[in-house]
Amino acid sequence: MSPTVSKKKCIDCDSLQHHKCLAEKTVKLSNYKPGEKGKIVQICGDPDFRLRIMEMGFIKGTEIAVVKYAPLNDPMEFVIRGYHITLRKKQAAHILMNEPELAA
Amino acid sequence: MKQKIVVALAGNPNAGKTTIFNALTGARQHVGNWPGVTVEKKEGTLKHSGQEIHVVDLPGTYSLTAYSLEEIIARNFIVDSSPDLVINVVDASNLERNLYLSVQLLEMGCKLVVALNMIDVARGRGAIIDETLLSSLLGVPVVPTNGKKGVGLDSLVEKVISEVENPELIERDVRLTYGSEVEDELYKIQNLLAHTDYSSRGSQRWLAVKLLEGDSEIIKKIDGLDHREKILEQVSKSRSHLNGIFGDNPEIVLADARYGFISGAIKQTVQVERTNRVNLSETIDKVLTNRLLGPLILLAVLYCVYIFTFNGSAPFVKHFDSFFSWLGENVSTILPEGLLKSLVVSGIIKGVGGVLGFTPLIAFMFFAIAILEDTGYMTRIAFMLDRVLRGFGLHGASMLALMVSGGIAGGCAVPGIMATRTMKEPKERLVTILVAPLMNCGAKLPVYALLIGAFFPGDRASIMFVLTIISWGMALFAGRVIRSTVLSGPSAPFVLELPPYRVPTFRGLLIHTWERTWMYVKKAGTIILAVSILIWALMTFPGLTSEQRAIFQDKQDKLLSNFIKDPVVSIVLKDQEDLNSFEGFESEKTKNHAEKLTDFLKSRNLSHEPQKDADLSIDFQQVNLPVALKYAQYKLEKLRLENEEQSARLKNTIAGRVGSHLEWVFKPIGFDWKTNVALLGGFAAKEVVVSTLGTAYSMGSIEREQYSNLSEQLKNEPGWNPLMAFTLIMFVMLYAPCFVTLVVIRRETGRWRWTIFAMVYTTLLAYCVALIVKTTGTFFGIGLT
Repeated sequence: MSPTVSKKKCIDCDSLQHHKCLAEKTVKLSNYKPGEKGKIVQICGDPDFRLRIMEMGFIKGTEIAVVKYAPLNDPMEFVIRGYHITLRKKQAAHILMNEPELAA
Repeated sequence: MKQKIVVALAGNPNAGKTTIFNALTGARQHVGNWPGVTVEKKEGTLKHSGQEIHVVDLPGTYSLTAYSLEEIIARNFIVDSSPDLVINVVDASNLERNLYLSVQLLEMGCKLVVALNMIDVARGRGAIIDETLLSSLLGVPVVPTNGKKGVGLDSLVEKVISEVENPELIERDVRLTYGSEVEDELYKIQNLLAHTDYSSRGSQRWLAVKLLEGDSEIIKKIDGLDHREKILEQVSKSRSHLNGIFGDNPEIVLADARYGFISGAIKQTVQVERTNRVNLSETIDKVLTNRLLGPLILLAVLYCVYIFTFNGSAPFVKHFDSFFSWLGENVSTILPEGLLKSLVVSGIIKGVGGVLGFTPLIAFMFFAIAILEDTGYMTRIAFMLDRVLRGFGLHGASMLALMVSGGIAGGCAVPGIMATRTMKEPKERLVTILVAPLMNCGAKLPVYALLIGAFFPGDRASIMFVLTIISWGMALFAGRVIRSTVLSGPSAPFVLELPPYRVPTFRGLLIHTWERTWMYVKKAGTIILAVSILIWALMTFPGLTSEQRAIFQDKQDKLLSNFIKDPVVSIVLKDQEDLNSFEGFESEKTKNHAEKLTDFLKSRNLSHEPQKDADLSIDFQQVNLPVALKYAQYKLEKLRLENEEQSARLKNTIAGRVGSHLEWVFKPIGFDWKTNVALLGGFAAKEVVVSTLGTAYSMGSIEREQYSNLSEQLKNEPGWNPLMAFTLIMFVMLYAPCFVTLVVIRRETGRWRWTIFAMVYTTLLAYCVALIVKTTGTFFGIGLT
């Protein structure tokens, strides 16, 4: 294993890291509000979750728009690559985004 | 021409795969399970210009990694059973994500035809797809289809046949490359693989890719290979090398690269004309998952499912029931009195009939669920309720199963447990299955009605409400405990696609309903016969010894002779022969014994035996009333004796003996052998508790809606008080599910282990709760009078 990928806690999402964590300014997807959109900077979390979600199209640079929160504020609904998907807030917190902007 | 082509259908969930499968194969389908697992396997055949094609519907998956059971099944089928060709059903209106699976299928090196499905939806959204270009980019034929309307299916089948007959291909050019660093490592692994005997199965490149991705299933597969150590060593070297370069695991890097390839392909082939049309599905969703309206609509929908399932099926259930009681009656007239008759009528017909009587109920429930699933509302239910239920180890989709099981009192756990089939998360699904029997199913209601009627008259509604709340509380509590003990571990990530709302096809709904209902009848039916006979035997043998029976017979004889010898009776009914012909006498207006007696005597007077009448210079009108009274008394006494005998017989059966032997266990909660044997009987079906209690308390067989006698009796029995009644209610609510439910649990979990667990934990829970109720009640002196 190369030194850059040593297992350590991620500052942003508090998960065990198996990959390089970005230091730049990011916003957790779980902090986005309905009607906001932005681009994925980094996906954290355990490897299974990361792979799963990447296979669903959550790739760095992909645009995500938040549609709404469920009636009890969790989970949340997004549009990505033209389809709708829902994630729990806890999982959405593992997706680090750039600064949100208002969706058209 | 090949004799029979085998084609596999692969595709994302919601891509319309099932619609295409139904359209291709029609009614020539067969539903089973994949070996060893409970995932449905659908197969069907079709004939096209003399060519027979066998279609296997693979589970809908987003990918072919070893993430879920479905993905492993789909993958193994393609690799191990090597179908002649794979049809990849792709949702054209959601092309990007759908192509991810296509790319993986390409990598596997199998012959592939892409069905560009829902092309109409994509066009409606203003997307124009260049199929020819897409086909040349992917290197496989692409056929636009509309599964719902059957458009493009003929050309799809023709393409399939011509592709299968096309001898070329298999080692097609690698269209998707991962960049020189990854390719170098893949080359190294592939080189090693080339020297093994595995080379013949599946594409080597695919194997190399999977090894590089660290796929545990594939690593298991190469277990027996010669150079296993060497290969694994190279794999781990390559993995850490790539990790160093990209700063991430190779599987992530490869996923990224695949989407890169797809994005490129999309850019070239899809043109989107900007249309600002309002998306209907999104508009509907704004209402249906609205913060305020959403939950209200959800409750209304669940209530409708419930009403539809139970009220809609009621007439059919009634027909089934009356058919089986008709059958029972007819068979009992044919068969001679005795064990065989008892076995056939009380054992087999009642047992099997009781279970098959569920069939309409199951069919209606599956129809309702098919509507929820096919429209896309089911995922919204999960979306809205996830927050509430996940705290209890359940899942948003558990709600439906719990409702059907008796969330509103009167459901049934059998369809409820079968409703969990829509859940993809194994642990959450298992927990739902295990707690569903705690709900107040319809069969528990007669027991409640009996006890509430006897001990809480006037409080019926409020007690029922309390019981509903308690059963929900218990189910959620049990879910929480099971999830944090027996089934601990992290919950599956809640990654749920919310597909656009769609209008389901009636044909699709019917096929769905039929398949699942038939599975129930077939699978449940086989074991039910055996268990019915077993339960019948337990409640029948060994019964009374011949001496005991002789004692009862003696009592009967004495009763009879006393009746006939009675000075008043003997005037009109001289001997047993007279009595028999009186009892066999059929009169037009036999409203009561007195009238019947009059008619009987008149007819005898007219016809024969004039010497008897000559002896009797008595006015019949004067004598027949007291005789009728005596006769009624005699009948009542006779019935009492018979019931006493039944009760004694029941006590002497295996079930009765077990009940007696268990008295010390159940003494703390106040149950005697009569209650115990009734609870054992309830294992066949919960409502049997009432009829068995009736037998045990010498009340004869109790029919539904006739418990007032038993209620009265229980009220006057020593040891019975409101507290005892409530303790029993709690026990009946929670204890072991009936055997039909257990059979379904076995079927749906695939394990006897979980079936036994369901039986044991519920009974323990029931015992503990009953004990708490009993002790608290006794301590505070509540409900003792």
